[in-house]
Amino acid sequence: MADKEATVFIIDLGASMKAVHGARKESDLDWSMSYVWDKICNVVASNRKTLCVGVVGLRTDETNHTLAEDGYDNISILQPLGPMSMSSLKSLQTKIKPSKTTQGDAISAIVIAVDMIDTYTKKNKWKRQIYLITDGQGEIDPDDISDIARKIKDSNIELTVLGVDFDAPDYGYKEEDKPSVKKQNEATLKELVDGCGEDARFASIVEAIDDMNEPRAKSVKPYKTYDGPLTLGDPKNAPAVVEIRVERYFKTHLARPVTASTVVVKEEQAGPSQAADDEQMDGVELTAVKQTRTYKVNDPDAPGGKRDVEFESLAKGYEYGRTAVHISESDHNITKLQTQKSFKIIGFIPKEKYEPLLNLGESCVTIAAKYDERSELAFSSLVWALSELDSYAVARLVTKDEKDPIMVLLMPYMEPNYVCLYDVPLPFAEDVRSYQFPPLDRVVTVSGQTITKHRLLPSDELNQAMSDYVDAMDISNYGIDQDGEPAEYATIDEIYNPAIHRINHAIKQRAVYPEKPVPEIPPVLLRFAAPPTELVETIQATIDSLIKAADVKKVPPKAKGKRQRETVKPISGLDVDALLGGEKKGSISPENAIPDFKRALNSSEEVEQIADATKQMGAIVQSLITDSFGDNKYAQAMESIGVMREELANLEEPGQYNDFVRDLKKNLLSGTLGGDRRDFWFKMRWAKLGLINQSQSEASTVTLEEADEFYKSR
Amino acid sequence: MLEPPPASSSKKVDRDSPLQAALKCAHHLMEQRIISNPKDMMGILLFGTEKTKFRDDKDGRGGLGYPNCYLFTDLDVPAADDVKALRALVEDEEDEEEVLKPATDVVSMSNVLFCANQIFTTKAANFGSRRLFIVTDNDDPHASDKAARSAAAVRAKDLYDLGITIDLFPIARGESNFDLGKFYDDIVYRDVNAEANGTEVRTSKSGDGLSLLNSLISNINSKQSPKRALFHIPFEIAPGLRITVKGYNVVSRQAPARTCYIWLDGEKAQIATGETTRVAEDSARTVEKQEIKKAYKFGGEYVYFTPEEQKQIRDYGPPVIRIIGFKNRNMIPAWASVKKSTFIFPSEEDYIGSSRVFSALWQKLLDSDKIGIAWCVLRSNSQPVLAAVIPSREQSDEASGTPYLSAGLWISPLPAADDLRDISAERGLDCSEDLKTKMRVIVQQLNLPKGVYNPLKYPNPALQWHYKILQTLALDEEVPDKPEDLTEPKNKAINKRAGGYLEDWAETLKDEADRAARSRSLKREVEDDEISERPAKQRKAAADRPSGSTFSMAQLKAAVESEGLSKMTVAQLKDVAGAKGLSTSGRKADLVERIEQWVEENS
Repeated sequence: MADKEATVFIIDLGASMKAVHGARKESDLDWSMSYVWDKICNVVASNRKTLCVGVVGLRTDETNHTLAEDGYDNISILQPLGPMSMSSLKSLQTKIKPSKTTQGDAISAIVIAVDMIDTYTKKNKWKRQIYLITDGQGEIDPDDISDIARKIKDSNIELTVLGVDFDAPDYGYKEEDKPSVKKQNEATLKELVDGCGEDARFASIVEAIDDMNEPRAKSVKPYKTYDGPLTLGDPKNAPAVVEIRVERYFKTHLARPVTASTVVVKEEQAGPSQAADDEQMDGVELTAVKQTRTYKVNDPDAPGGKRDVEFESLAKGYEYGRTAVHISESDHNITKLQTQKSFKIIGFIPKEKYEPLLNLGESCVTIAAKYDERSELAFSSLVWALSELDSYAVARLVTKDEKDPIMVLLMPYMEPNYVCLYDVPLPFAEDVRSYQFPPLDRVVTVSGQTITKHRLLPSDELNQAMSDYVDAMDISNYGIDQDGEPAEYATIDEIYNPAIHRINHAIKQRAVYPEKPVPEIPPVLLRFAAPPTELVETIQATIDSLIKAADVKKVPPKAKGKRQRETVKPISGLDVDALLGGEKKGSISPENAIPDFKRALNSSEEVEQIADATKQMGAIVQSLITDSFGDNKYAQAMESIGVMREELANLEEPGQYNDFVRDLKKNLLSGTLGGDRRDFWFKMRWAKLGLINQSQSEASTVTLEEADEFYKSR
Repeated sequence: MLEPPPASSSKKVDRDSPLQAALKCAHHLMEQRIISNPKDMMGILLFGTEKTKFRDDKDGRGGLGYPNCYLFTDLDVPAADDVKALRALVEDEEDEEEVLKPATDVVSMSNVLFCANQIFTTKAANFGSRRLFIVTDNDDPHASDKAARSAAAVRAKDLYDLGITIDLFPIARGESNFDLGKFYDDIVYRDVNAEANGTEVRTSKSGDGLSLLNSLISNINSKQSPKRALFHIPFEIAPGLRITVKGYNVVSRQAPARTCYIWLDGEKAQIATGETTRVAEDSARTVEKQEIKKAYKFGGEYVYFTPEEQKQIRDYGPPVIRIIGFKNRNMIPAWASVKKSTFIFPSEEDYIGSSRVFSALWQKLLDSDKIGIAWCVLRSNSQPVLAAVIPSREQSDEASGTPYLSAGLWISPLPAADDLRDISAERGLDCSEDLKTKMRVIVQQLNLPKGVYNPLKYPNPALQWHYKILQTLALDEEVPDKPEDLTEPKNKAINKRAGGYLEDWAETLKDEADRAARSRSLKREVEDDEISERPAKQRKAAADRPSGSTFSMAQLKAAVESEGLSKMTVAQLKDVAGAKGLSTSGRKADLVERIEQWVEENS
């Protein structure tokens, strides 16, 4: 479980915070708040009861807190320390606005914050934090700061002071013409922070705001996936075996973006009288959607051929082909392989014989069990031996009794702090599909000859240009490390999952500023979306020669998918169409409709012939639908329509198809094709078999809008 | 879409091995396909049989239209009965039904092909992939009849026009070769996707230690082709240089099918199909699809985006694989794995010249042992990922660790910082050089065959068992008692090859471990002494000490008897339970009970 945290934000709301400084467009307060809102939103988003937030207003018009003493005026508790919800966030927002006063002591506000935390957290284990955000323009009483610092330290509180336009030499920022009050206050606050121990920080808020834009990976506690022996050999029968007690944890685990819930707008609960003066029209009330399942079986006697069955009457089972195999309650585990927790090495392979492309998923790390000398030493010898031999081990792993076995590849790794075995899951025989692809470095012709010079193969020139380019674009050393030395570019530590941070960013923005449009993707998330610009500029000449040698040509969009009019021939090159006598051409039989139709179109010379073929085909389609019992001939009809659409579009006769499909739709919806055939029309809509529009075929007279309308209208 | 299946057919007159092999092969394929592609349809049409059978449908045509064609299994997702019937045919030597009795007349190939045409047209209309496998040992069925040859060619063209691929599996008879030129070159078309790389027809024959059956199976397996590409997108190799590639799922974890609900009250057991309706949580009213909105939970409330905004949030531009640079291959750490890789292969459809550029890149990456780093949006609206672009070697390449995979490039997603987990580990003891050396010998002795992990040698035991049992239940067979599991280590071989070395290693280990244990406890005593000098901290240190893993059996037993367990904190109990491999969940009482039980059972 993560630590409990109590954080109090002290926000300077003095009149001076209204001002706009520097090149900024927003007021100092709004600018500073962008940081605070981000922090608070993270708390709200986490939805944890143990993350508590309080907000204290400094230099407020009113005074509202629990310390009834002098010198504590113009300080208000805006939000008592406690868990944050969306509604408390909203109510807090209304309270954060600049006041009309300049009175109020920042140090006093800190004392109040310390008191809040002490009261709330008592002596329990908490992570305690105070953030002071101020422009340093108010009066600060520097007496007693050493006492206060000691108190903060004793209470174990981390104090962070973030100042608007405070000088930050490390960050390279210095405010010109700083008022003397501010200069003095900065010094006072710095002194206070310095007295509060190592965890206290003093910074200009610009640092914090810049830092905020850098995505943060959420840290997750280690999860143990296996805890038991790692063996080599048979411990039961063999005289000597390797048996090491180990623990295995996740090393990588795919983090996923938050998922959206399915919701609907809440129904009006009250009568119409209340709805009239409803103030909350902007905040739409949403409610979650649940799913319920009902089950149906085929029943020829029931209307529609299906009937509902009670869930309770159903038994569990599996499909074997199309046969339902019922498995009774008593042996529900019968198909499950009986396994026992184990981690067995089956053999070793040299490192260079392994291709990482076989990795099937998340990796784990295995270390020796703690406080066990035998295991530690044995494990150490295994890791060392693998490492020295540049070898990997293959092992069979059952993480718990009754879990399915997996094969993993164990890879040795040594850090100054620990030695370990990383592992990745390997595929089984069933997981690999041995699809055959043609070779990449030669062409085998139909006659079985092997050619090495061909338009599909690179020329020597292209090979050279590619080689130059790949070498020039090497980013193995393109990055810069902390010491300014060349280092690997785009290391895993620098890569953030854009989807996760993008959606989190958008949600936070929406929560704080519901009226604003969705923000742009933060540029930091797109850092690796393209090659480094500077690198590309320097090697432009290499890129140009690669492009020239590649000589790639884009296929014009129209020609794509267009059928070549040259006749397709079998391997022997026989002209099959020529085998047919002229008399058979043009007539389409229902049994062999599609090939006949294609042949008719292919041999057509006149538009009339195309029209005739289309008419015949149309009639076949309509009769298929008419004769269909339920939907049993729909697929056949759909296939024919699809072929008609494609062929006629390719022949630049979209009008003929469009006429046909208009007529078909009319008939479908009017019920003249053997009853209610609306379901067929839905299928057509789904398969996008409507009108051919102008973007699909230039010869079409149908606009995009008309085509869309055609799908929609009933 | 579903792949409609191989209609396997065979002609062989005397009941000799080619026919048996073909049937066995079909049987093998059927069983295998039910597991690997449970939605695929499959049918078996025998031709050249004396008997004639087509569907008993009402059209009245029966089998009359297709004499000497016997539709043994109609095209459909196979049922248990189909498997049973086929097995009976394979095993039943007598062939009581005389299904396999050869025809005396010559069967018309054009009729056979048209019969197949009708099977596909009616049973698998509008399917994305339809294939006809012809298994035969007769290379010239119409030697003297030119008209019949022409008719067959026309029917083959019909199938081509329907988008049905014909794959021929010729069986060579004795010494004579199967001459494709005599007849089948007019029937078989080139695969349009294979571009210039022609599809080679391999002839099956027995001999060379390979049975005809195996040769057939291997030829059919080699014809496995991806039904469809996962994606077909631009590959931006350099700024301004784009080609197109198609992506394929070549490696992918296969899991047993999910359970389904079965209705048993009817005459025949039936799978009940579920339908989901959505209801609002507050009012339980049924919600229409148009009403549904997507919102994010945030601090107890919903933060809502309109569908357009949702789209905008998910939009990272059109799909692309864009190279952002190259790295040395060894810079990608071994553990950098989160998801399976996807195979990509060039396509000339959008950019002419894609293949040669792809090939040049592939060659260069292999030669220089480099990989590409690419920003990938593999589909519109899919999450962008940074991936390594890794080349795979040619199958015939000696250096290849994956002789069962084709040459090409692989998109292997890299983990992001968000996917990393912290490791909390301390460095344990380091062993001596002696022990390392002894282990090295063991490792050297126990290399896997050819030094590669060949997944094809390791069927998934859980998956195999699942389907084995299902099959026996479906076919009313005896349930086998022990599964065959090729993933278990070959302990006998290990012992034979490295037994002596293992003993040697174990002995050295024992010595070193004893020594280490002694020095550690010595150190602990010293620490204890030191601690006693500082009484203020002793309490805390003492509380931390009895870490579960250090508890010996005797200590635990003592603790159980003295009820000392209940005095320990939950954290300590969890530690103990964890160290003994017990569950660490539940309340304190549960933990205590669990540990007590363990002590009882194990002492």
